[in-house]
Amino acid sequence: MRLLIIGFGNLGRGLVESLAEKKSFLYRRFGLKPRVVGVVDDSGAATNNKGLDWRLLVKKAYQKAKVSAFPNYKRISAVEAIESVECEIVFELTPTNIQTGEPGLTHIKKAMKAGRHVITSNKGPLVVAFRELEHLAKKQGVEFRYSASVGGAIPVIELARKLLAGNEVLEIQGVLNGTTNYILSRMAEEGAPFDQVLREAQELGIAEKDPTLDIEGIDTAAKLVILSNAILGRDVKFKDVRRTGIARITPQAIKLAKETGNTIKLVGVATRQTVEVSPKLVPLGHPLAVGGTLNAVNFKLDLAREISITGFGAGPRETSSSLLGDLIDVCRTIA
Amino acid sequence: MLVKLVMELEDIPGQLLRALEPIARYGGNIQSIIHQREHKTPLGRVPVTLIFEIEDQSRLKRVLNALKSRNVLVTQVGEEVYTVKQTVILLGHIVHADIRTLVDRINSITGTRVMDLSLAMGGPRKESAARLTILSDSDRHARKAISWLSEFCKQKDLLLITSVGGPP
Repeated sequence: MRLLIIGFGNLGRGLVESLAEKKSFLYRRFGLKPRVVGVVDDSGAATNNKGLDWRLLVKKAYQKAKVSAFPNYKRISAVEAIESVECEIVFELTPTNIQTGEPGLTHIKKAMKAGRHVITSNKGPLVVAFRELEHLAKKQGVEFRYSASVGGAIPVIELARKLLAGNEVLEIQGVLNGTTNYILSRMAEEGAPFDQVLREAQELGIAEKDPTLDIEGIDTAAKLVILSNAILGRDVKFKDVRRTGIARITPQAIKLAKETGNTIKLVGVATRQTVEVSPKLVPLGHPLAVGGTLNAVNFKLDLAREISITGFGAGPRETSSSLLGDLIDVCRTIA
Repeated sequence: MLVKLVMELEDIPGQLLRALEPIARYGGNIQSIIHQREHKTPLGRVPVTLIFEIEDQSRLKRVLNALKSRNVLVTQVGEEVYTVKQTVILLGHIVHADIRTLVDRINSITGTRVMDLSLAMGGPRKESAARLTILSDSDRHARKAISWLSEFCKQKDLLLITSVGGPP
């Protein structure tokens, strides 16, 4: 199985490290022998049609190196690499742009048109062109997986689409952003104001220098768009999401919530009629009342009533769990 | 059970206390008192509407007997069946928004009542927070209260935080 990895940032490197670590496990359990025939980033592409050396890949990943640090790398673009490198599966792991979906959107389309199966963690293309990409994959007869785009390590989409397939999903509720959950959890524990906890989160590397995407609920909204489309079968766009962030939440508000056995979480809620991201009162003990950077999703279903799932929503190693899951799933499907 | 009781009290000091004492004695938990001096009866009595929680019918009966023996005139007794309880938090410059109007307006929605209101003032020029507990007799009335509340909050630039999994 030949893999081309587009994007050699945290997730690309995390995937390479997990693939190397699990090489013998993948062969023993599934008879899979993945070979990374190319890694690409904005500095160029390193390719080898027999598969790049695992030790070299792991070393470069560990060094957080750009692809230009690989011996014999070529100054070619991702699109050129997709068109020229022979492979079965393309991993699209470039950063998210929810306005245009680019460059991921072009990468995915090119890969599908070249007959490659695609696995992505990139929310941008899914938010911008979900239906178009699903149709294109179908038309080209290729597999398309995006488990890693929502919930990091948590198999949210797979759980709903496969294991709960006999149910009608009535509502999806989710704490889908680790950064805001960390901030709100710390505010609840310490009684500290928002600005102070945000600074702390930035110092710990949990929040970005520009935290807008997280605290204004943009990241949660993007994930909710994907869940609505993938699970509820809707055709929702980003602009359809009613969105309120957490910047106005004060320790006093959290204290008032606490007095009635609640806490405040940034929650995305999707039904057949509405898609909304806003701070919500969540009863302590409710499946969504998770602490730290954890994510949680609660499905309301016609038969099973409620099913919840909790786990780590970010991190290269954690997310590689979903990417590997998708890889195994694609290989089983096409076998 | 939640009981609504209307009584008429003489307009002399101490009457209200006299009327409330039996409720407390039998474990009643008073949730609201509306004292309508401006709506005096022709005999000069003041109508007072009480909402209180009490364990059961037998205790209510004892309360009513005690009121009778104290010559308190009870004109109306009814059990209110509130099945939906919603807690919401409002954030913003709440003191400027007319909180009294807010409560009165919600109370005027059929089958809906503000049971509890707590305010936490922010520092100078900082936003305050308020928590309201709203009781309703049906999902429909609960939704009506929330939809009115969200409109109110939009107008006054308040952030409304509702409960996850509120009324469908």
